[in-house]
Amino acid sequence: MSANILEVRDLQTQFNTLDGVVRAVDGVSFDLARGETLGIVGESGCGKSVTALSILRLIPPETGRIAAGSIKFEGEELTTLGEEEMKRLRGHRISMIFQEPMTSLNPVLTVGTQIAENVVRHMGVPWRAARERACEMLDLVRIADARRRLDEYPHQLSGGMRQRVMIAMALSCDPQVLIADEPTTALDVTIQAQILQLMLELKEKTGTAIVLITHDLGVVAETTERVVVMYAGRKVEEAPVEALFTEPLHPYTRGLMRAIPRLDIEADAAGTRPRLQEIPGLVPRLTQPIPGCAFAPRCGFATGRCAVESPPLLDVGAGHTVACWEVDRVRASAL
Amino acid sequence: MTAYIVRRLFATLPVMAVVALFVFFLLRFAPGDPAAIIAGEDATAEAIAAVRGKLGLDRPMVEQFFVWILQLAQGDMGVSIFSNLAVTRLISQRLEPTVALTLSTLFVAVALAIPVGVVAAWKARKLVDRLVMGFAVLGFAMPGFVLAYILIYFFAVQWQLLPVQGYRPIGEGLWPFVECLILPSVALGVTYMALIARITRASMLEVLAQDYIRTANAKGLATDRVLLLLALKNAAVPIITVIGIGIALLISGVVITETVFNIPGLGRLTVVAVLKRDYPVVQGLILVFAAAKVLVNLIIDISYAFLDPRIRY
Ligand SMILES: Nc1ncnc2c1ncn2[C@@H]1O[C@H](COP(=O)(O)OP(=O)(O)OP(=O)(O)O)[C@@H](O)[C@H]1O
Ligand code: SF4
Ligand SMILES: [Mg+2]
Repeated sequence: MSANILEVRDLQTQFNTLDGVVRAVDGVSFDLARGETLGIVGESGCGKSVTALSILRLIPPETGRIAAGSIKFEGEELTTLGEEEMKRLRGHRISMIFQEPMTSLNPVLTVGTQIAENVVRHMGVPWRAARERACEMLDLVRIADARRRLDEYPHQLSGGMRQRVMIAMALSCDPQVLIADEPTTALDVTIQAQILQLMLELKEKTGTAIVLITHDLGVVAETTERVVVMYAGRKVEEAPVEALFTEPLHPYTRGLMRAIPRLDIEADAAGTRPRLQEIPGLVPRLTQPIPGCAFAPRCGFATGRCAVESPPLLDVGAGHTVACWEVDRVRASAL
Repeated sequence: MTAYIVRRLFATLPVMAVVALFVFFLLRFAPGDPAAIIAGEDATAEAIAAVRGKLGLDRPMVEQFFVWILQLAQGDMGVSIFSNLAVTRLISQRLEPTVALTLSTLFVAVALAIPVGVVAAWKARKLVDRLVMGFAVLGFAMPGFVLAYILIYFFAVQWQLLPVQGYRPIGEGLWPFVECLILPSVALGVTYMALIARITRASMLEVLAQDYIRTANAKGLATDRVLLLLALKNAAVPIITVIGIGIALLISGVVITETVFNIPGLGRLTVVAVLKRDYPVVQGLILVFAAAKVLVNLIIDISYAFLDPRIRY
């Protein structure tokens, strides 16, 4: 049994749009160990969600496709797996939680039905047993008065509760992998902390490995063991979380760190942390192939070579890799 | 909910009162005089006046109105000027064919249009979808009576599969009853079907793009059938709304369809009564149609609460 439950290699996911082919994910690789919590960070539009959806093969087939690469789950190749097998996997062995708790639950079905549905589908148990399981799960995610809540509809619950329901649903069939795509971004800060705490506790209990997608380095620092930093559809740096925070090696990662919201401006009126867009310059358009380093137009360290030649991933030891031509200069400079 | 229904039922009273007022005075201000029709073409002015006096049409209009309203309050719709039969009796005799035609049209239209709309949404922008929507445009544009004659020509005259026209009460057996209703229901229902199919497709497409459908997909639920059934429940409110609007359209369509197919229902009764200016009968019919529409609206509004838990009364 391999130590890695999930192995993503050179994933390329593309969309056909009116402006041309969007290379939303352009050669991303990472591994997820059993029971591990991996963070994926990056600015809006860098391909985090598309990476997640690719793993579950939920890229809308009308416009998008996995163009190349491999995704292995328990050693099994997912990119070529039949749709029926894929359906048996989804929600059962790999689950996903989405960013928008307000819209991700079906408004016309009770919470209990939505959780039980998953259990019936994958565990092959009768509805009555599935409802019991749903009740257990609501208890587990600490929704008070679970039995009564089963018969409530999503609009009767607060945002935080809905996200708990999503977690309950995602974990109802004991998945090996839980992909959480910005699960707390839409929630206010105190609720965010509670939900993250809950996810970590449940992970301890169930041994589920988690891919936590976020643009919030604060969340990464608090919850993950290892971090993948993405930029313009590519992985630019990967490191154990301590290493990343003590010695970020990619100029983009450093930019992100500088852009971590300070405590005094931590939450705006809506209670959400501001998005990380403070690095000057714009994310490149993904419709044209980028010959060199995607970050070059915004990078203070850039040289002539950066614009024409793509930097390879460099292993700097202890599980720390970075894609930058100028690592040594970056390392030598002050944070 | 019960309180809501009671409130709504009471609210229909003023609506019906306004309808009564309008139908009464509009009829009387419209050209044409029943007395002249009864007295015959060559009648003298005195003869006509005599008939008017006998019918009570020479009284002040406001007085006539209140006499009628007082009768109505006692459940009496008056007497036909021509046949001397009670209007309630005339209407109740003609009710069955019209109700049968409306319901069977409704059934045919809904039973065909919803699956067709769902499939079109599911195969959006593919060939099936384009074909279906093409037919929908055609069906919407084709006047019901034109289609009626086409259907009669082929199914009744050429192939002799179905009767040309007529109506058999359900009391005479199920097949004769159904047989007579097929062509009129299809002719009357096609526009309606096109409307429902289009709205079903549109609301399904909207629902299928929602986040919760992505969630359902992420649960691996989507055998397409389950997914479509789920989505249909989400899409139901606009569909039901259009079905409701359609029932109003049906009630007007019934007049023409009954004439074409020679069905002795309320529609035919209406045509005859209007042509003869049989005031009490027309008034009674309009009130019945109005009441039917109000009732349908109420049923639709109540159904929302069952389809969408966010709607509460
Ligand atoms: N269905 C689609 N059709 C076309 N382009 C798409 C589609 N989905 C995503 N993209 C493009 O792919 C790129 C990556 O999008 P993605 O949603 O993965 O970003 P993200 O990192 O999750 O950002 P965010 O933090 O805003 O969620 C974007 O440029 C986006 O415009
Ligand atoms: S490769 Fe060049 S442009 Fe890219 S991050 Fe490194 S220094 Fe900057
Ligand atoms: Mg995203």
